[in-house]
Amino acid sequence: MFSCCWCCSALRPRYKRLVDNIFPVNPQDGLIKNNMEKLMFYSLSSPEKLDRIGEYLFQRASRDISRRRNGFVIIAMEAMDQLLAACHAQTLNLFVESFLKMVQKLLESTDPQLQILATQSFVRFANIEEDTPSYHTRYDFFVSKYSSMCHSNNDNITVRKQIRLAGIQGLQGVVRKTVSDDLVENIWNMVHMDKIVPSLLYNMQNARYSNKENATPESPTEERSDPPQFAETCMRELVGRASFGHIRCVIKPVLKHLDNHLLWVPNYFAIHSFRIIMFSIQSQYLYTVVEALMTHLDEHSQSPLKIRTSIADTLSKIISIAAGESVGPSVLEIISSLLTHLRVSVSRNLSSTNDEQLYQEALINALGEFANHLPDYQKIEIMKFIMSKVPYSKLDSITTAGKGDVLLQSILLKSLLKVGTKYQTIHLNTTFRPSFLQPLLRMSLASDAEMRLLVQQIFHTLIDRHKNINKLTKPTVNIIDLNLEIEKASRPDIIFIKKHGPEIYMALYESLELTSNNVDNVQSIYTTLALLTVELGSEETVLELLQLIMSLQDLALTSIEINTAIKFNLHAIVISLLVLIANVCNISNLMDYGNKIVRNRYKEAPHLLPDLCSEYGHLSSGISSSLLVDQAIVSECLKEVGLETNELQGTNYSNNSLQHRYSWVDNTGCNSSGDINDGTIELDSAGSSPSVQKKLPGEELTFDSIKRILTENSNVQMMEEEKRMQFSHLFRNTPFPDLIKKTQPKHDVLQSKLSEIFNVLNIEPRSQSIQGSTPSDIKPSQTPAYEIHFPELFVY
Amino acid sequence: MKGLRTSIIQEKKRTEFVIMEDYKFLFKVVLVGNAGVGKTCLVRRFTQGLFPPGQGATIGVDFMIKTVEVENEIVKLQIWDTAGQERFRSITQSYYRSAHALILVYDISCQPTFDCLPDWLREIEEYASNKVLRILVGNKIDREDREIPTHVGEDFAQRHGMYFLETSAKEAENVERLFMEIAAELMEQARCKELPRYEQNTTSLNGKTTSIGDAGICGCSRLS
Repeated sequence: MFSCCWCCSALRPRYKRLVDNIFPVNPQDGLIKNNMEKLMFYSLSSPEKLDRIGEYLFQRASRDISRRRNGFVIIAMEAMDQLLAACHAQTLNLFVESFLKMVQKLLESTDPQLQILATQSFVRFANIEEDTPSYHTRYDFFVSKYSSMCHSNNDNITVRKQIRLAGIQGLQGVVRKTVSDDLVENIWNMVHMDKIVPSLLYNMQNARYSNKENATPESPTEERSDPPQFAETCMRELVGRASFGHIRCVIKPVLKHLDNHLLWVPNYFAIHSFRIIMFSIQSQYLYTVVEALMTHLDEHSQSPLKIRTSIADTLSKIISIAAGESVGPSVLEIISSLLTHLRVSVSRNLSSTNDEQLYQEALINALGEFANHLPDYQKIEIMKFIMSKVPYSKLDSITTAGKGDVLLQSILLKSLLKVGTKYQTIHLNTTFRPSFLQPLLRMSLASDAEMRLLVQQIFHTLIDRHKNINKLTKPTVNIIDLNLEIEKASRPDIIFIKKHGPEIYMALYESLELTSNNVDNVQSIYTTLALLTVELGSEETVLELLQLIMSLQDLALTSIEINTAIKFNLHAIVISLLVLIANVCNISNLMDYGNKIVRNRYKEAPHLLPDLCSEYGHLSSGISSSLLVDQAIVSECLKEVGLETNELQGTNYSNNSLQHRYSWVDNTGCNSSGDINDGTIELDSAGSSPSVQKKLPGEELTFDSIKRILTENSNVQMMEEEKRMQFSHLFRNTPFPDLIKKTQPKHDVLQSKLSEIFNVLNIEPRSQSIQGSTPSDIKPSQTPAYEIHFPELFVY
Repeated sequence: MKGLRTSIIQEKKRTEFVIMEDYKFLFKVVLVGNAGVGKTCLVRRFTQGLFPPGQGATIGVDFMIKTVEVENEIVKLQIWDTAGQERFRSITQSYYRSAHALILVYDISCQPTFDCLPDWLREIEEYASNKVLRILVGNKIDREDREIPTHVGEDFAQRHGMYFLETSAKEAENVERLFMEIAAELMEQARCKELPRYEQNTTSLNGKTTSIGDAGICGCSRLS
């Protein structure tokens, strides 16, 4: 029935004759160029015929396809391409329909060659800017078919690659064609994105370099011929065109694809693709991606930890890209949800497994990465925010913190440390706002030694501005070797330390009083103090610092609770700090004095010098006065450089702390202030007496002590007063060595007894001792508290 | 817009003396089911008349087209053959939505493929149009080691309101019938809803429909 077309060609309309003429007799000869030009001229001069030409060409081509005369099909397509390129956009409207029908027809054929040809034509069409919206073109078939081609599994590898490339090109074409045109169907529709995105990703994940870390494509030139490479380009383009409302449509299929193809562990590809997304997306939407990934993490709350860890890791890898653009509430939102994840993770698994820890680490890393890229003022905000999330209890019930709380505290402090590390302090007063400093100081007295260590580390990183931190991690008396970088403290800093110094010093002092300290704690507090000295050392601050170290020495001499090793450690840091202060403030007399003590100690008691050890063997804890820092001489040195030394003699942190916090102790007769203004000898000789009597804060606050105080009648007080007077008289008038001889053995007995008690205490659950602080229930576990008090009182 | 378009089509038709291989109906058929139940083989058998031994697993989605004649009408079947593997689930799901017919395939010699049917139904429920024509197919009846008796499959299909057929792609049993019945059923559905409107446009020549390919596409897409 088709044959009649040929015999009566003369009767046929002109355009049909023109079309027929472009086809050679033999398809191998290709398009007849002359006749093609004629056809082109005709269609240009009478554009109204264009749509019929298109339709006729299409019909011929479909006939040829069904007869498998592919040569003619290719010629017809070529003709259509040329017409499309030559004709003006306004006239294309209907021709386009035939053209697309033709492309579809070719795509429907099973011949890969025709499919590729069709795609090439389609891409050419996609690059034409149409003036008139083409609302009657439908692209869903193209999206479906091109996606299918992206997954081609042709037996022939070269053909497979070609088809896949064609598929990607086709998708790119569809995207180009539709995003710019509001009237055609919405390419961002989930139906389409669910096809396009996985197809691109599927090709990308086959890249060699996506399986390795940090690998880069070897030759970017072959982009057009390498499916993974090309898919990546296409992905970038797609993401780059996405507007706010469409981001989710792109991200969701990505996440789904990564889930389905198990690409989270290992997560190289996930990171790779998310990087691509982050770098191509319009920057104001960056945080949406982070948010989406975070939500995905939520959805994976039941998944194996490895997957969650990988997702969190991916998050940490991309979050920095988002940080630069994030502003306002979105920042806190991200931080907040990261913290929520941490909290959930902590509460889920108290017996921290290794995987869980890795997961937490990944989250903390993400937090740190994020903070790293925020402006400084936001870092402060974030630190404050994190600090506000730390669950801390009131001081007297510091041990109430359950196991989960402690874990959470330490996790949060770790995150805080991470953020702090990324922060560069400029002015201490902006870094340590009271609302941040106070909770931090409170945490520095936490019952968990490791937590205290963390807090000190936070201090280190925040105080250190001149990169001295590594030089000061260990106490030393050879300051010159350290090559410290010292800059004169600025005015605001001095004001800061004037205002908050006592508070900080007090906290550090009290922290050193705690019995659960180990060498690391002492060392970290040394570092904090040394950094403070280096950063803020000046004539105005030197007094307080010296006062503190005198108190520390005092503590080491008199405390009955801390063990001998720690006492030696304290002595070591005292001398290290003294030398450091003398050097930083450039007080030569003090330097000489410090060096003299160092020399003495080196000869007689090297254990009182750094480095700190946790075990000193059986060394006597007795120390001759020539090895100690003498307050009188220190005052002398200071006077020579013209510093007022009254303050140095006036107060003492051990007393200060008692007065400050437990002023009621005075009323009950504990002679805590007996040594104030007591001359200079008290420190090195008898100055220890009041401190020995003072009770440690830990014990002071128990219910029993309060109760005891209330029940004790004044008679007893009177007697005690008298006794004490005698004691102090005795102590003040006896030479120091004698005193030491007198007290030493008792100390040792006491020491052993105390450690015994503490062992008992440690075994007992901590919570019990806290409940004891409510009047209603006095637990038997409280008895040790008495035992602590009584021997202490009976020593003298 | 639609009016404009119809008038253009009518105008075209008036002037044309066209004999072309085109269709009146276009239906999208999607095959789903576990990996290895023989979806690709069914499609190959139907579209190309061959049984490819050692067929590798489908990746993503495969596409085939087949034009058939039902009651003197040319019907074009777009057949989307999806991968059964779990990892391609997200992309295959996206093809359900536009389907006119879903063929759910299981292997009669493999109990697990039958056990998964409820999961597949749930997926279809979620992603496909609720008016989609659903057909349950037990494939590989040439196999000796049958595990699912015919009546079990039949019961299942009945319970879930599906058509049921047992086939063998290898022996070409019921394959042709499967697709032809789908085409006939879909055409029936399409006629009830849409046909009157387009019938008047059809100018027949030599018993063939003329170029209303567009109308056909529109009519069918409105099905979903």
